[in-house]
Amino acid sequence: MTLDELRDRMKAARIEIAENRLELVRRLLTDALRPIHEMDSRKVKTLEPCVTFDARRSGV
Amino acid sequence: MATDDAVYATIRDIGGRFRRKTLSPVELTRALLERIERLEPTLHAFVTVTADRALADAKAAETALARGDISSPLLGIPLGYKDIYATRGVVTTGGSALLADWVPDADSTCVARLQKAGAVMLGKLITHEFAFGIQFPGHRFPAAKNPWDLERMPGGSSSGSGTALAAGMAFGALGSDTGGSIRGPASFCGIAGLKPTYGRCSRSGVLTLSWTLDHTGPMARTVEDCAYLLQALAGHDPADPASSREPVGDYIAPLVRGVRNLRIGVPREYFCEGLDSEVEKAFEQALTTLRQLGASVQDVQIPSIKSAPAYMVILLSEAYAYHERDLREHPELFGEFLRERIQAGGLITSSEYVQAQRLRATLQADMSDVLRRVDLLVTPTSPKPAATFAAVYDPNYDAPRSNTGPFNMTGLPTLALPIGFSASGLPLSMQITGRPFEEANVLRAGHTYEQATDWHKRHPNV
Repeated sequence: MTLDELRDRMKAARIEIAENRLELVRRLLTDALRPIHEMDSRKVKTLEPCVTFDARRSGV
Repeated sequence: MATDDAVYATIRDIGGRFRRKTLSPVELTRALLERIERLEPTLHAFVTVTADRALADAKAAETALARGDISSPLLGIPLGYKDIYATRGVVTTGGSALLADWVPDADSTCVARLQKAGAVMLGKLITHEFAFGIQFPGHRFPAAKNPWDLERMPGGSSSGSGTALAAGMAFGALGSDTGGSIRGPASFCGIAGLKPTYGRCSRSGVLTLSWTLDHTGPMARTVEDCAYLLQALAGHDPADPASSREPVGDYIAPLVRGVRNLRIGVPREYFCEGLDSEVEKAFEQALTTLRQLGASVQDVQIPSIKSAPAYMVILLSEAYAYHERDLREHPELFGEFLRERIQAGGLITSSEYVQAQRLRATLQADMSDVLRRVDLLVTPTSPKPAATFAAVYDPNYDAPRSNTGPFNMTGLPTLALPIGFSASGLPLSMQITGRPFEEANVLRAGHTYEQATDWHKRHPNV
């Protein structure tokens, strides 16, 4: 995520973050979103997202 | 005095002394209150010390012991509660200026269960702001210090819990763990901490950070002490929508069964990448010890492990949903660091949140597959020892990868315990993870390792 992309998201969400803290937020979101951006949602096995979470759902 | 050597004793040992009448709950509580008074100006572990309450609890325990009541191993044991657990009549701040004066009218379920078991409430332990925001200098609540090195973080967010236990200011504590907040402080403070299975311990009356990732659980100086605390905490709570009806097992008796024939998997991809050399050496030595104790240890692969950092997408999104209104109406009451992190959650799209939950389901399925072939997973708790405050306060600080978050994603029970010290005297730690609701296996392996080593017997010079 670039700083410009971050600013676009801030504008859309009407959220203000101090200019000198943007790099910290950019890094946080870049790391967190990397697996999602690397994922091709059309190719992964269809799995429903967890609406509620159950640690035993997978039936181990 | 009988109490001098007692502050670092185990819960079982203290119970024995109570029953033999070589120590009384009131004596012990007074000794701890004096110790807290002496150490607190340096360590900042407590937000509130409830001295009168503690002595009243201790006197009640003494009366119960005098009439022969030995039904609870926690009777007369002094504990501290992380300040995100509601305590009736006692201010509960969440480490936040927003709640600085909040006095709940009911105990959280976990606190109520420990008090019902006869525990002595010493007070409320400092937490990172709303269990997520590090206290920068000038924060309303000063940060707890690491007793092993006052220049270093004790970890968080259950920072006061880790500090108090390492410094012999309490015998057990409540922590909470959304991305590692029990296991991080346990790792950095050289103690044990258990994140139970999601739904095993109640979240009712505990401030929310992220509904689908939040876990409550015990912290103590030994694995056995964690087991005693879990025995009192575990069980269904209708007040918590995520609470499980899974029956509660015996966490104490199986501790002595050893690890012979247990199959231990080591997922090196992700968890062992970029380790500090001293962490790596201690971890490999711990694996050798587990082999020598009779466990079979083998490398395993978790195909989707690289998706684990997506847990932060879930955490940030849910935290933003929880705090949004206060953030918009009272942004000045949030610490700078916390405000920015939660605001980041407001920049995540709904699609990204859903995709993160899909990745979570994949990771959960992959870990389940691995846990059909092995009984436990063992990993380093943190890739590096505790960081200095100065490093963390630097806006360019590059935080190490989280080895704890993947087990919040999957909800699996995970124990952190000491495996050595760095050359500079900082504690190092490993995690033991089991199948859902198999806390007994996790604790048994941890206890067996702990009994074969002496890391838990070392204490900081405070």
